[in-house]
Amino acid sequence: MTIESKSEKFNSLLSLQDHKRRKREFIFVIAILIVVAILTFVVNRIVSFGPDFPISNTILMFVLINVNLLLLLLLIFLVFRNLVKLLYDRKRKVIGTKLRTRLVVSFITLTLLPTTVLFFFSIHFITKSIQFWFNAPVEQALENSLKVGRLVYSHLEDNNRFFLERITYQIKTKNLLSPEKIEDLNNYIQVVQRAFNLHAVEIYAINSNRLALCVDKDFETQIPAKVTANNLQKVPASGGIRSISEEFNGGEIFRTIGTVPFKAQGMQAEAFVVLSVLIPPELFRDMQSISDGFQEYQQIKLLKEPIQLTYYVALSIVALLVVFCAIWIGLYLAKTISIPIMQLSEATVRVAEGDLDVEIDVVADDEIGSLVDAFNRMTRDLRTGREQLELSASMLRERSVEIEKRRKYMEIVLKNVSTGVITIDADGNISSVNKSAEKMLLLNSKKLINKSFKRLLKGQDIQLARQILEDLRMSRNNVAEVSLRVVINGKPKSFLVNINALSDDMSQQIGFVIVLDDLTELEKAQRMAAWREVARRIAHEVKNPLTPITLSAQRLRRKYADHLESPVFNECTQTIIDQVAQIRNLVNEFSLFAKFPTANPKPSELVPIIKDSMALYREGYEHVEFILEIKDNIPVLNLDAQQIKQAMINLVDNAIAAIKEHGHIWVTVTHDPILKRVRIEVADDGTGISDLNKTRLFEPDFSTKKAGMGLGLTIVSSIIADHNGVISVQSNKPRGAKFVIELPT
Amino acid sequence: MAIIFNRKSVVAFFCWAILFATPGYSQQARLTNFVVTSTRDDLLIFLTIEGAFTENMKAAILSGVPTTVSFNISVDKIRNFWLNQKIVDKKINHTIKYNPLRKEFTVNRSWESDPIVTESIGEAIHLMADVDSLKVIPLSMLEKGVQYQIRAKARLDKLTLPFYLHYVFFFLSMWDFETDWYTVNFYY
Repeated sequence: MTIESKSEKFNSLLSLQDHKRRKREFIFVIAILIVVAILTFVVNRIVSFGPDFPISNTILMFVLINVNLLLLLLLIFLVFRNLVKLLYDRKRKVIGTKLRTRLVVSFITLTLLPTTVLFFFSIHFITKSIQFWFNAPVEQALENSLKVGRLVYSHLEDNNRFFLERITYQIKTKNLLSPEKIEDLNNYIQVVQRAFNLHAVEIYAINSNRLALCVDKDFETQIPAKVTANNLQKVPASGGIRSISEEFNGGEIFRTIGTVPFKAQGMQAEAFVVLSVLIPPELFRDMQSISDGFQEYQQIKLLKEPIQLTYYVALSIVALLVVFCAIWIGLYLAKTISIPIMQLSEATVRVAEGDLDVEIDVVADDEIGSLVDAFNRMTRDLRTGREQLELSASMLRERSVEIEKRRKYMEIVLKNVSTGVITIDADGNISSVNKSAEKMLLLNSKKLINKSFKRLLKGQDIQLARQILEDLRMSRNNVAEVSLRVVINGKPKSFLVNINALSDDMSQQIGFVIVLDDLTELEKAQRMAAWREVARRIAHEVKNPLTPITLSAQRLRRKYADHLESPVFNECTQTIIDQVAQIRNLVNEFSLFAKFPTANPKPSELVPIIKDSMALYREGYEHVEFILEIKDNIPVLNLDAQQIKQAMINLVDNAIAAIKEHGHIWVTVTHDPILKRVRIEVADDGTGISDLNKTRLFEPDFSTKKAGMGLGLTIVSSIIADHNGVISVQSNKPRGAKFVIELPT
Repeated sequence: MAIIFNRKSVVAFFCWAILFATPGYSQQARLTNFVVTSTRDDLLIFLTIEGAFTENMKAAILSGVPTTVSFNISVDKIRNFWLNQKIVDKKINHTIKYNPLRKEFTVNRSWESDPIVTESIGEAIHLMADVDSLKVIPLSMLEKGVQYQIRAKARLDKLTLPFYLHYVFFFLSMWDFETDWYTVNFYY
């Protein structure tokens, strides 16, 4: 997986997480809105603030209650959710849960202890305080005050009762209710009003009509309202009076109603007398304050238990809030510590598994943050290192492939190069032998590889090797050059051997490379060229004096033969003539060799050429049996027919010369279409050729014949070489020799 | 799946409990002695609240808490295949206030002109609970031979505490009462 694809995968994972988070937030907001609506509805149903409660305050209260409830619910939800998650994680043995549990338990313990103490202390304090408030002599004082107030009314009522008794008695006895005495009645009530210092005195008829009214002069403008019929009629017979009171000009007017006659029952009442006493505003307000204070105290006393319960509930809520807050903070802190640790642990496992693309996203400025940063830095470094390693490995692989390619190329070059190459490592073991070397030395490389040359070489060869090593050591440029002449499988070979000592950059010897150049053919050609030059010079230098010598000898013989009848003279001149003739033959032979033309090949049939060559000898040598075998279908070859014929004549001539008495000459022609070669074998059962002679057989100065310069086989070899062929000599079984010519098709 | 079902059930129950929560009344107040009658000119009703004034309420009244009971009375013309037509919708209040100095209760009934003062708490509560000869609607507003429905209900309208004690309303709400609608159908 490439880095880009991993990055894309990571980005897609991020976007997925982001989407999930947004969805969760959306659900959360919707849930909050629903809860707010429900809570508003519930509060509206349960709580009534009354119509005189300001609407703004009502909304404020709603908001406060809702917000508080929401916060509490949210907190409880978060706490329980986290606790359940913690328990679940503990069960699953998630990394970090032990630490989280420990932190949460510590926080709960640290919070519960003071909270519980404070809670119970507060409960006790509130209980005692409330008990103290209600146990204090406030109630008694208030009741006494109230009693004082009541005594004021009672005193006023008693006074009024006393006055009423007197007034009603006088009205009754003086019959002041009669219509004709209405003036007297008015006078009388004026007197009474002044005498008893009353605010007002009123007389009501039985039908509730006010018959007479007298008001204190100071309050003449402040006439009290009429007493209602209902109040007049309710005057009890037992007590004889009924008192009512009402607010009047900031104070209170206290009115006592009595019947005429006093304590009259039912229909016996002839009229009603109402005495009014004005309670001054100051006194009225004081008494009102006493009354209000008493009532408020009574109300508080009535609500003692609900108030106490309210305090308990408020305290409990606060205590629970504190506890839940502590748990939540504990969970939060634990999470802030344990989550990075958990992520670090997971990331470490992933890194251990080889995933170096791990990045932890926790952002914090504390030690955990530093740890996370260090981890991220470490993974980044590791990733960079791995990338560099991968790059290096890739480069190394490429280099290795290149080296391998080069090595193979070098192997191919070595395999196909005409020179033989043998490499030897620092320990002297042969590490490689190329095909040309195998072919030159007729070796099987498989048997040589990893074997020390010291064990493979023996006798003089090991001495030579030591000598070469010594030369190498002594040489400045670690190169030694040696010419070798060896016989391999009966064939003489000439090599130019270059030995290079290999050294590395530290000048440490790491082995040798031996390069073999087969100079056999080159030397042969050089020798041939040299011989041709010699032949040409001899022919040129020697041939010219021969004719004068012969002519001189013949002239001497002719001129002096008659005069000198000495046999010695004749013999000598004859010898001169014969030897010169012999020298001439030799010179001619040299001349022929030197002037031998280069081949001019053209497509020709080989078999007729061979037959023609053999036909020349077939009749002249009856003791020799000529056997021609044409085994395959011989194709037309590019040949110089004349030269091939010359070569065949030379070979047959040699074979005949090798047969002393009776013998056979076999000429076999075969064709190898795979190797694309035509093979001509000329075998005889003559005297044969020794191994020593075989090495020099094709050189010009070699001959087993008494006459001739031994140039026959040299010429044959030259002709075959000109036709890109090969000639070799082998021993014929059971006896004789066999010349083998191979010509390319 | 079972867990989800259970969770859903719990949530559903919780929602139901909140949405259909009604104030928990300490007593079952009800209207009795409901009488509909008429004078020559008006339709009158008589009714009494029973089970409303508990000892706690009496104690509250004696401690000087002004208490108001409201009565909702309505007369609807019954119509088949259609919503009833409201003819009259009346609301009256009975307020009681105790004067500890005079040891007397003043009952103010909105449909009467004068407040009634009494020294007996029994009489005061009786006055609070009773509606006597209340003129609901003039007979001239009714049609002959038509079926009408008269409905009434009472509730504790106000129990005014000092402002600083409002926070205990949650608990005082236990004293509240509200009767069911009392319904009487009649033909004029």
